[in-house]
Amino acid sequence: MTTVNAPAQEAVLGKAYDLRLMRQLWRYVRPHARLLAVWGVLLPLTLAFELAQPYLLKIAIEDHIAVGDASGLGLIAIAYVALVVAQAASAFGEQWVLQLLGQRSMHGLRLAIYDHVLRQRAAFFDRMPVGRLLTRMTNDIESLNEMFAQGVVTLVADLVKMIAIVVIMLTLDVTLTLLTFLTLPLLWLLVTWARGAMRSSFREIRVRIAAMNAFVQEHLSGIRVVQLFRRQTAAAREYDAINAAHRDAYLDSIKADAAMYALVEAIGVIAIAAIAWWTARGLGAGADTAAHLALVIVFIEYINKFFIPVRDLSAKYTVMQGAMAASERIMQLLESDEPDAPPAAASDAAAGAPGAATAPAPQPAAPAIAFEQVEFAYGRGEPVLRGVSLEVPRGATVAVVGATGSGKSTLIKLLTRLYERDAGVIRVGGVDVRALPVAELRRRVTVVSQDVFLFRGTIADNIRLGLDLDRAALEDAVRRVGADRLLARRGATLDTEIAERGGNFSAGERQLLAFARALARDPEILVLDEATAHVDPEAEELIERGVAELMRGRTTLVIAHRLSTIRNADLILVMARGQVIERGTHDELVAAGGAYAQLERTFRRHE
Amino acid sequence: MTAPPTAPADAALTPWTYLARHRGRILVGCALLLLTNALFLGIPVTMGLAVAALGGADPAGEVPPLAGLMILFALGTAITRIGSRILIFNAARAAEYELRGDLFAHLLTLEPAYYRAHPTGDVMSRLTSDVQTVRALWGAGVLNIVNTGFAFATVLVMMLRIDPWLTLWSILPFPTIFILGQIMGKRIYRASQGVQQHLGTLSNNIQEDLTGIQIIKSYGVEADRRARFVAQSEQLLGQNMMLARVRGQLGPALAAVGSLAAVIILFVGGRRVVAGEIELGHLVEFNGYLARLAWPVLALGWMLSLLERGRASWHRLETLLRTRPAIADGAGPALDPDATRGEVRVEHLSIAFDGRAVLDDVSVTMAPGTVTAIVGRTGAGKSTLVDCLARLIDVPAGTVFLDGRDVTTLPLDSLRGAIGYAPQEAFLFSTTIADNVALGFGQAVAGQAVPRVTDAATAAGLARDLAQMPDGYATVVGERGITLSGGQRQRVALARALASAPRVLILDDSLSSVDAETERVILERLREVMRGRTAILISHRVAAVKGADQIVVLDAGRVVEVGTHDALLARGGVYAELYRTQLEDGDAVAAEAAS
Ligand SMILES: Nc1ncnc2c1ncn2[C@@H]1O[C@H](COP(=O)(O)OP(=O)(O)OP(=O)(O)O)[C@@H](O)[C@H]1O
Ligand SMILES: Nc1ncnc2c1ncn2[C@@H]1O[C@H](COP(=O)(O)OP(=O)(O)OP(=O)(O)O)[C@@H](O)[C@H]1O
Ligand SMILES: [Mg+2]
Ligand SMILES: [Mg+2]
Repeated sequence: MTTVNAPAQEAVLGKAYDLRLMRQLWRYVRPHARLLAVWGVLLPLTLAFELAQPYLLKIAIEDHIAVGDASGLGLIAIAYVALVVAQAASAFGEQWVLQLLGQRSMHGLRLAIYDHVLRQRAAFFDRMPVGRLLTRMTNDIESLNEMFAQGVVTLVADLVKMIAIVVIMLTLDVTLTLLTFLTLPLLWLLVTWARGAMRSSFREIRVRIAAMNAFVQEHLSGIRVVQLFRRQTAAAREYDAINAAHRDAYLDSIKADAAMYALVEAIGVIAIAAIAWWTARGLGAGADTAAHLALVIVFIEYINKFFIPVRDLSAKYTVMQGAMAASERIMQLLESDEPDAPPAAASDAAAGAPGAATAPAPQPAAPAIAFEQVEFAYGRGEPVLRGVSLEVPRGATVAVVGATGSGKSTLIKLLTRLYERDAGVIRVGGVDVRALPVAELRRRVTVVSQDVFLFRGTIADNIRLGLDLDRAALEDAVRRVGADRLLARRGATLDTEIAERGGNFSAGERQLLAFARALARDPEILVLDEATAHVDPEAEELIERGVAELMRGRTTLVIAHRLSTIRNADLILVMARGQVIERGTHDELVAAGGAYAQLERTFRRHE
Repeated sequence: MTAPPTAPADAALTPWTYLARHRGRILVGCALLLLTNALFLGIPVTMGLAVAALGGADPAGEVPPLAGLMILFALGTAITRIGSRILIFNAARAAEYELRGDLFAHLLTLEPAYYRAHPTGDVMSRLTSDVQTVRALWGAGVLNIVNTGFAFATVLVMMLRIDPWLTLWSILPFPTIFILGQIMGKRIYRASQGVQQHLGTLSNNIQEDLTGIQIIKSYGVEADRRARFVAQSEQLLGQNMMLARVRGQLGPALAAVGSLAAVIILFVGGRRVVAGEIELGHLVEFNGYLARLAWPVLALGWMLSLLERGRASWHRLETLLRTRPAIADGAGPALDPDATRGEVRVEHLSIAFDGRAVLDDVSVTMAPGTVTAIVGRTGAGKSTLVDCLARLIDVPAGTVFLDGRDVTTLPLDSLRGAIGYAPQEAFLFSTTIADNVALGFGQAVAGQAVPRVTDAATAAGLARDLAQMPDGYATVVGERGITLSGGQRQRVALARALASAPRVLILDDSLSSVDAETERVILERLREVMRGRTAILISHRVAAVKGADQIVVLDAGRVVEVGTHDALLARGGVYAELYRTQLEDGDAVAAEAAS
């Protein structure tokens, strides 16, 4: 087995729990149990129409052809045609219902994965390659769906058929039956071996497909960097390693599948040979040859009948093993739960958070935002915030400055509970954020983040983004940030299409659109994280004016690197290494002669 | 195998091109398959003989050898079957691997503009789902063509031996199979194309939702995005059902054709038996053979659907493979990397997007060893201009020159090797910081802080941040670098550009997310690093550009002013106007300097 070195390589899973998997899958099939019932009716119907055909043939031969009466043949032929049509219709219905069942179940499962993934907290996405999650929702589902498409569900019918045959054989002749099934251990060995080989093979395939997708998604999103730094050959080589590992992962399953299919057939023949040989040995002179002969012929017939479903089963078995490997991956994803912003747990009672899920009454006198001794670290890493306390009074504009990497953006991520603080309390309007329903929290606090993300769609869609805003409101938001001039210059309107990640707009234009999107929400608390970093000074000034006008009497928290933005704030907080080291107004801080004063000197010397 | 840089785009690109490369294995596999079928015929024959021997004079003597023979046939069948399947399926897998490798290598040659029109998720869906569908055509398709053909042939021979006329009658309905195939084939093709298309859209939607997860969460748009997802998943379901409907019709329809043959035999043959023209036993036997056609007929339907689905997917892959990169290597010789001076000249360059001029008759010269700053309003065309220098956007011949050579005549590798570019949007790969920096000089360093990496990182002001990270240079960042702060990410991208030790260094707004103090330190260091190179700085901050040898002011795609900071200030044009706010602070600088 080749191992491709990727940093976040998925482990290939160990033991299988087929029954448990089946039970979990059943959850998604059950809502469509009615379809299953319809299929259950159609299946025997098709079979009946099919089996009636040889019967008609028998009548035709025995009652008409054999006795030389050709007159009734026409009628029988018509009846036969009717049966053929009926069978075709019923078979179609059966197929269709089965497909519908499969498709609907998979749609349900796909939705369940989507919901589950979207419910995960932000930290989950820090580690998880997008391509891998995508694989779970597309390729793995497809593979699972094969199980329905190939009619693996008919497995049960096959099993029943096989059991029936065994029973019939037993009633005919116990010795011969036992002799026949002396080959069963062989069969069992074969199946066990094939299963092991296939499963580990398919498990690896799932991992490789996910790895390929992750690799492709990353390199295509970074195509500019790939080309600028002439990475094409190196990237193709790395991809080749995963691609080859994917190809080789199939080797075992191809072998197992071929061996199983071919050997099952051979085992059937061996059983027949054994019976012939046994019977011949027992046939002394003068035995009732005719009776024995009949028995052998019947047995051959049944053994053939028995091994046909076994062989079909083996073909379906491969599909099933593939589907099981895919569903293992899916279930593993569904089971690992790191919910985003869960309601405050009982253990948080110490922090003074009311346990009830209902929104607590806001306290009008309380500051809009308050951090009290907040500590935080990403994962097991270094602490990023070390006892941060700050207050943003209602209606005030507070600026946060500080060196890059000092934890400014982290403050905001904690405020909106994208990440969960490790210790301390964060309050919005006097209420612990963990006691607020997340939806409400995120509705009240609108963030324009450092990284702009625009969706494919029109500009209007992007500004609206889930809200029910009319045209006037959109235009108003665009005008407020001064983007109207800009769009006009660019020859764009609200209906202009945006490419993936806003690729057909300049970085500054994207930022303006993100700004418009935030203002369109009429925010109670506006948080700006270097939201004008890519914008020219003239446009920046326009935005500032627009924001000031809209946010009059409302709360604004600004993170900025430019003096012009900071200077007019009601309060300035200076951060360094995860702590607030100074606070005050511009004049106070300059007078104090601390870190801010130094910073300000840099600005001045600089600008 | 290392995939060739460009995929074959010869006219003879068909779904079989890739499989044909493995024709040796395929042919041997097919030969084995024929052998399998032949050996398989031996089983019922020996079985019949054994049964006959059981009723004969000396069963104990005659049957065991026959039984042994039977087992031999069975084992022979099994072995050849295993061999053929392994050969054919592995050949299909190998072809799949090559096709996918070619596709990916080809994708990397397509210009960024392609990906604005063809979203990532959709392209990814082609690389997995469509390639798989084509491969199914190769493996199972070939296997079944041979099997089915053989089955038809043997049965036909048997039937002909009994009664040629009856045979003719019974194959009468079979031509309808071809008509059916024609009609259904087209429908399967269309439905399958619909499925693949919708799969692409859906996968693209998921891709987008996952990359935009932060905004989805903080703006609480889960419900809205979900509704979109549900709608698309339902559409896919609908398309899949459309395909299932056609496929569901095909199987029973084909089976019905087979059964019709039985009816004809019954009617025609029955009459002939009654008329005494043939024996009843023959009719029964004949019917038995016909029954053996049931399976190959069904397989035919299955193959048809494989074929059409494979073709539909192939079509999507072929369009991709046949897309010529709009930006290709120039025909001229490469630049000598050691002798490159780094003189950049732009002459009357105009670029239009969607019919709108984004660059309008731009002419600039950047002398080797000087710093040129490009400033201008948001959307003025600054990034577009520098993209043109690296040919991320294609330029007309005779507009952009490096060391006097038209860039369109240069091999891309040579051109881009001379340029170190830190794009406006910092993109990092999900690997270690050291490897991200080392990308600049094209080496994998496996997280090692080699001198070239540390030098670049120090110049980019990263040293302090890295010292605070437990894993330092070996810190693995998330996709796109999401686990770093904005400023850190930007500086890693900066370090990457510096590490390439280029003749021409392009920094597109590369310090916008960095605080003023860090910016000052970096700019000071950059002065060192840039010595002797041609540097192009794009910035909205006067502080960053005022020391430049020349400042080029772009406005609405035109060069409106060129000059030094002081000259432009004195001129009182766009530059002075645009940077008024920042310059007001600058007054203090002037005052300070005067005192
Ligand atoms: N998702 C994450 N996982 C792990 N570490 C992180 C993550 N996001 C940020 N960090 C680390 O936390 C520290 C603080 O990051 P933060 O983004 O808050 O900085 P910042 O003050 O906003 O800086 P900048 O001005 O550069 O944006 C940095 O050292 C950064 O590497
Ligand atoms: N693919 C595209 N299709 C259509 N228009 C485009 C495309 N790419 C860029 N533009 C437009 O071209 C203009 C110039 O874009 P460019 O990115 O060069 O601006 P910029 O000067 O770098 O701006 P910023 O300061 O915001 O980075 C913008 O108006 C932008 O919207
Ligand atoms: Mg930040
Ligand atoms: Mg730009």
